[in-house]
Amino acid sequence: MQTKPGIAVSPGVAIGQAFVLGVEDFRIPQRFVAVDAVDAEILRFRTALENVCHEIAENEKQASAKLGKQFGAIFAAHQQMARDPIVQGEVEALIRDKNFSPEFALSNVLRQYAQKLQNLGDKYKADRAIDLYDLEKRTLRHLLGERREELAHLTMPVIVLAHDLTPSETATLPRKYVLGFATEIGGYTSHTAILAGALEIPAVVAVGDIVANVSGGDTVILDGIHGRVIIDPDEETIAQYRDWERRAKTVAQRRVSYRALPSETKDETRIRLLSNIEFPEEADHCRELGADGIGLYRTEFLYLESNREQTEAEHLEAYQKVVQAFPDQPVVIRTLDLGSDKVPAAMPQFYPEGANPELGLRSIRLSLTDLTRFKTQLRAILRVAVLGDVQVMFPLISSLIELRQAKSTLHDVMEDLEEEGVAFNRAIRVGMMVEVPSVPLLA
Amino acid sequence: MTAESPHSRNVSVKLENGLHLVPCSRIAELVRDFPGTVWIRREEQAVDAKSIFDLLTLQAPFGTVLTLEASGNGADHIIEGLAALFERNFELE
Repeated sequence: MQTKPGIAVSPGVAIGQAFVLGVEDFRIPQRFVAVDAVDAEILRFRTALENVCHEIAENEKQASAKLGKQFGAIFAAHQQMARDPIVQGEVEALIRDKNFSPEFALSNVLRQYAQKLQNLGDKYKADRAIDLYDLEKRTLRHLLGERREELAHLTMPVIVLAHDLTPSETATLPRKYVLGFATEIGGYTSHTAILAGALEIPAVVAVGDIVANVSGGDTVILDGIHGRVIIDPDEETIAQYRDWERRAKTVAQRRVSYRALPSETKDETRIRLLSNIEFPEEADHCRELGADGIGLYRTEFLYLESNREQTEAEHLEAYQKVVQAFPDQPVVIRTLDLGSDKVPAAMPQFYPEGANPELGLRSIRLSLTDLTRFKTQLRAILRVAVLGDVQVMFPLISSLIELRQAKSTLHDVMEDLEEEGVAFNRAIRVGMMVEVPSVPLLA
Repeated sequence: MTAESPHSRNVSVKLENGLHLVPCSRIAELVRDFPGTVWIRREEQAVDAKSIFDLLTLQAPFGTVLTLEASGNGADHIIEGLAALFERNFELE
């Protein structure tokens, strides 16, 4: 049992099987095999290992030719690892004596060795864990072949563990199968934190090295109360956490009873509390919780959830859902705030490899370059604005010119809609994010 | 000298970075097909020279003295081969 401390960024407790998100997402499909399948599984393992060795030998040849013998030597070492009699013996013993599947057995044995190396207190040896991880991925690829399960095809609830989660990854997760998140890096404003908050599931970030120490299928406790991840917990710990889970639910229920109370200070100053949302489905829940409106609707997820462009009708449908939940209160819709860290699959041409995600063509600058898409979004926002107090907000404005261009585009769209005889709200309030340093200086 | 008695030899690590991944892999490669057993000892620890994973757990920085031990047919040859590897710094430096 191993406890890794981190930062709890979304509360709650989750107990479940780990899904380790690596560069290639291999979920170990099953941990055990039937007793009478053992011989066949051992054969399957040996075959996969043979293929792995051939593949590595090929890599060694190419690496030596292109990069020199020293580089090729690493692959020779990997070959020795693949053929290591102790490892093979241990894996086969797990399959034969404990009915582990080859994938689960291999993962267990390799991770144990990775752990041993890390415990030697020698940085060089500890770094070799990456070689083991590489070998594990390679072998799993051969073992799983066509049966490789991708993140999008989860069929049971899991706790997702990763180095970090990109917005694209989180946007495409099948939400009903994710119990919570744990990442090696990150903080309160990480994407992981925002998404977990929106989904109301626990998340713990900045856990440090964990991906190398957990096998897909391991039992994991995600403690979003104290900020911990517990790998392979013992019975006593599991019982304790189930108890906390129950207590957390009770507290949550009690909080629900506070919803209807007004948000007021002791001297009766009314404070308006508005919600931030990523998905239109959250709007109803926000209303139930007593929000005074939507302070920020981050529309990026509309773009990230799908591999193709969203039509005006699709934008409109999403915005309508939100406005219908708050017909008499403000709803602020922020236009596309995409940067290189959030690349929708439908727009690859705008993102060359290696671009610094903090600079360059992002958010409003991207919108002003890609006017067709920008106008589609603006049309939908203007049209939905007849249904309530809808306001539009532009992100990452850094100069007066940018603001004027954005507003001018908005007016162009208004003229188009006017000509087409489509209903929209000309009196829509326009705002912008004050987030770039130049802005308060210019104000 | 019967085929069963272990042969042994002391060698010292002359690699600047100690016995790291590539030298370990050269050892494992050399002894892989040897029909008998080969052990490398450092103080109380003994590792199976046919297993690169076992070899990696040896802490053997520059200057460490290790004992090579082999049993079986051809044990003396394999010890010679291994000692030569250490002597030539595994052809790395």
